[in-house]
Amino acid sequence: MSPRVTRIVGFVAFAAFAVFVAVLPAFINDFKAQQYAYVGIYLIALLGLNILTGYTGQISLGHGAFMAVGGYTTAILMAGNEPSIACSSCDGPIGGGMKDIWTIPIAGLVAGLVGIAFGLPALRLSGLYLALATFAIAVALPPFVKRFEELTGGGSGINLFGLPEHTGSITNLEIFGRSLTFNDWLYYLSWVVALVAFAGAWLALRGRTGRAFRAVRDSETAAVSSGVSLARYKTLAYGISAAYAGVAGGLYAIANTFVNPDTFPIALSIFLLIGVVVGGLGGLTGLVFGAIFIYFLPLWAQGEDLGSLLPNRIIEETQKPGGPAIVYGVILILLMFVIPNGVGGLFRRVGQLLTSRRYSRSAK
Amino acid sequence: MRRHPALVVLAVAAVLALAALPGALAGSSADPGVTATTILIGGTSPLTGPAAAYASVARGAKAYFDSVNATGGAAKRKIEYKIVDDGYNPAQTVQAVRRLVEQDDVFAVFNTLGTEHNLAIRPYLNQNKVPQLFVASGATTWGRDAAEFPWTIGFQPSYQAEGLVYGQYIAKTKKGAKIAVLFQNDSYGKDLLVGLKAGLGRSSSKVIAAEPYEVTAPDVGSQIAKLKASGANVLAIFATPTFAIQAYVFANRLGWRPLVINNGVSGTANIMLIASEGGKNKVVEGTITSSILKDPTDPRWKNDPGMRRYRSILAKYANGANVNDIYHVYGMAAAFETVGLFKRLGANATRARLMVLARSVTSAGNPFLLPGISVKTGKGDNFPIQQGQLQRWTKGRWVPFGGLWTSKRN
Repeated sequence: MSPRVTRIVGFVAFAAFAVFVAVLPAFINDFKAQQYAYVGIYLIALLGLNILTGYTGQISLGHGAFMAVGGYTTAILMAGNEPSIACSSCDGPIGGGMKDIWTIPIAGLVAGLVGIAFGLPALRLSGLYLALATFAIAVALPPFVKRFEELTGGGSGINLFGLPEHTGSITNLEIFGRSLTFNDWLYYLSWVVALVAFAGAWLALRGRTGRAFRAVRDSETAAVSSGVSLARYKTLAYGISAAYAGVAGGLYAIANTFVNPDTFPIALSIFLLIGVVVGGLGGLTGLVFGAIFIYFLPLWAQGEDLGSLLPNRIIEETQKPGGPAIVYGVILILLMFVIPNGVGGLFRRVGQLLTSRRYSRSAK
Repeated sequence: MRRHPALVVLAVAAVLALAALPGALAGSSADPGVTATTILIGGTSPLTGPAAAYASVARGAKAYFDSVNATGGAAKRKIEYKIVDDGYNPAQTVQAVRRLVEQDDVFAVFNTLGTEHNLAIRPYLNQNKVPQLFVASGATTWGRDAAEFPWTIGFQPSYQAEGLVYGQYIAKTKKGAKIAVLFQNDSYGKDLLVGLKAGLGRSSSKVIAAEPYEVTAPDVGSQIAKLKASGANVLAIFATPTFAIQAYVFANRLGWRPLVINNGVSGTANIMLIASEGGKNKVVEGTITSSILKDPTDPRWKNDPGMRRYRSILAKYANGANVNDIYHVYGMAAAFETVGLFKRLGANATRARLMVLARSVTSAGNPFLLPGISVKTGKGDNFPIQQGQLQRWTKGRWVPFGGLWTSKRN
C-alpha cells in the first residue's frame, strides 16, 4: 500500500470509529456509558504518555501526578476552597465559580507547564534514573497536596457533586435540544475530547516533530548529528504529554465528581504505563484497548462485568481479601506472554500478514 | 492533503453533536433493590490495599446475613449483601458506590468503611435519596449533620466522644501528664485529637506534641522518635492497626515506656498480641483503650450465647476466617441491627421508610456488643451507639474497668 492509500484507510477507519463512538450509548445501558466515559479519559492520558514513552523513548512512572495537577486545577477552579469538614477554620473563598468544561483547557495548560518545568531537569537524566525521578513526583505529590489544605481540602479532598458549576446532575440535562442523562453527558464530553486529542496526537506525530521524537528515541547521538535539538524535543514531549494527562485529570475530576490525594495514587501512574504497554508502544490505535484494559481489568478481577463469566471457583477467590490483586496479576502476566508487543503490535502483525508487503509507516 | 485532517475532525464533531442519542431513563414507582422475597444491599470494603485487614468487617456482616437467610430471612426477605472492593481509596469508593446504585440497583448502601470514603459518597447518596446505613466510621459529622444529610446514619460512638473519654481519664488519673499524640492525617485522626483536648479541659495534663502520618506512608518510625524526644510520659495512638503496631514496636526499640492510650480502631486483642511481639515488647502492658464489642479472645465470653452464635456462624458461613479477628464481630453487630430494621419494614419497603426506622431504633439486646450497650436513636439523637467500656491490657488480655461510659454531647 502506498502512503496515500494508507492515509485514506486511516481516515476512513477514524471516521468509522467516531461514528461508532457517537452511537454506542444508544445500545448500552446508562451506567455503561459512564464506564466508557472513563475509558475515554484514560485514552487521553495514554495518548499523552505514549507520545513521551512510545515515541520519544522517555519513561515516565509519574504520569498520575500530571493527572492530579489537571484534576486539582479543575476542582479548584470549579469549587474554590469551600470550607470543608476537614478545614472548618479555613477562610475566604479562593477561585471557584468556573463552569466545568471551561476548566479543561486550563487544566491541560497548567499540567503542560508543570510538565515542561519537569522536562528541563529530566534532560540530564536517562534510563533508570529518569524512571526514578518521575516516580519520585508520583510519590511526593499526595503529601504535597495535603500540605495546602486551604486550597485542596487536605485528605478530605474537594467534592464537586451538586455544585452549580457542574453541568451534570441527577436530573436530565438539555444539550442542543436533546435530553441527556448525566452519564451520557459524561460519555460525550470525554469522547469528544478524546477524539480531538487522538487527531491532535496523530497530527503532531506524523510530520517533522514526530520524526524528531522517534529519532531521539532510536538514538540520541544520531538525532543530534542530524540536527535535532535534544533539549527542545524532549521538553516538548514532556509538555505535550503532561498537557494530555492534565486534560485527562480535569475530565476525571468532573466524571468522578470528587478529587482527593488518593484519587491519583502511585498505582495510577503504573496503570497508565501498563495501559501503554498493553496498547502497544509507539502506536495510537491500540491505546483504545489499553484504556479499556486498565479501566475494566480491576473490575473483571473482582468477578464483575465480564469477570462474572469466570468459573465460580475463581469468583469466590476474588471475594477474599487480596483476591482481586492476584487475579489482576495473573491476567497481566498471561497477556504479556500472548501479545508481548501489545494490541498495537498485534494489529501490525495482522496487517503485515494480510498485505504481505512491509507495512511502510509502522516504523517500530 | 494537508487540510484533510482538520476536515475530518470537524466532521466527527458534527456527527457527535447530531447523533447524541440519549439512553432512555427507566421510570418506576417501586424502590429499587427490594421485592417481596429479597433485599439487595451493597457496600464497599478494602479487600485490597493498605487497610485490607478491615475486609473482615464486611465478611462478618455477610456471614451474619447468610445465617439469617438460612433461617428464612428478615420477614421472609432474603438479604443479598454485595461487597465491592475500593482498595481503601475514596475515589474508588465513589465509582464503586455509583456502580452499586446505578448498575446493581441496591436498596441501600450498608456499612461502607472509612471516614474519607463515606464523606466522598455522602452528597451523591443523599441527592439520590439512597440510604447510607450504619456507616463504618466514627466521624462526628454523621450524627451532627443529620439535618443536612438525612439519608446518612452512623453506627459506632463518635471519635470525638472516644477522645473525650481518654482526655477525662488522663485528667483524672494522671495529674500533670505530658501527652504525645500520633494521629492519622485525616478527619478520623483529627476528630480523636479534638476530643482528647476537650476531655483534658483545664486540667494540668497537656498535649505537648502531636505528629501526623499519611495513610500511604510506609511507617511511623520518625514520628515516634520525635514524640519520644518531646519528653512526654503518655503516648496516644490514634492510628489504624498497621501503624499502631509499628508505634509500639518503634517505642520499644527506642526504649520509651510511656503510658499508652490506643484508640478502639486498633485496640483489639489480636493486634495487641502482635504488638507485644510474643511478650518481648513491654510497652503494650497497661495500654488503655475503649471498646463496644465482645472480644472473641476474652475468656469471659467463652460460654456467652452471643459469642457462641458468633463462632458457629463464622465457622459455617465464612470458611477459613480467623475467629479471633474482632472485626468480624463489628460486622455482625451492624448486620444484626440492619436485620432488625428489615424485619420491621413489612409490606411498605421503601428507602424513605428504612431511614425513618433507622432514626427511631431502640435495641438493647445486640448479642455482639458488650452487655449494657444499647443502640438508640430518636428525635434529636442521631448517634446510634454512644457508650463504651474502658479497658486495660493486662498480662495478655483486656481487663475492663470503671463501668460503661456514656457520652452526652458527642
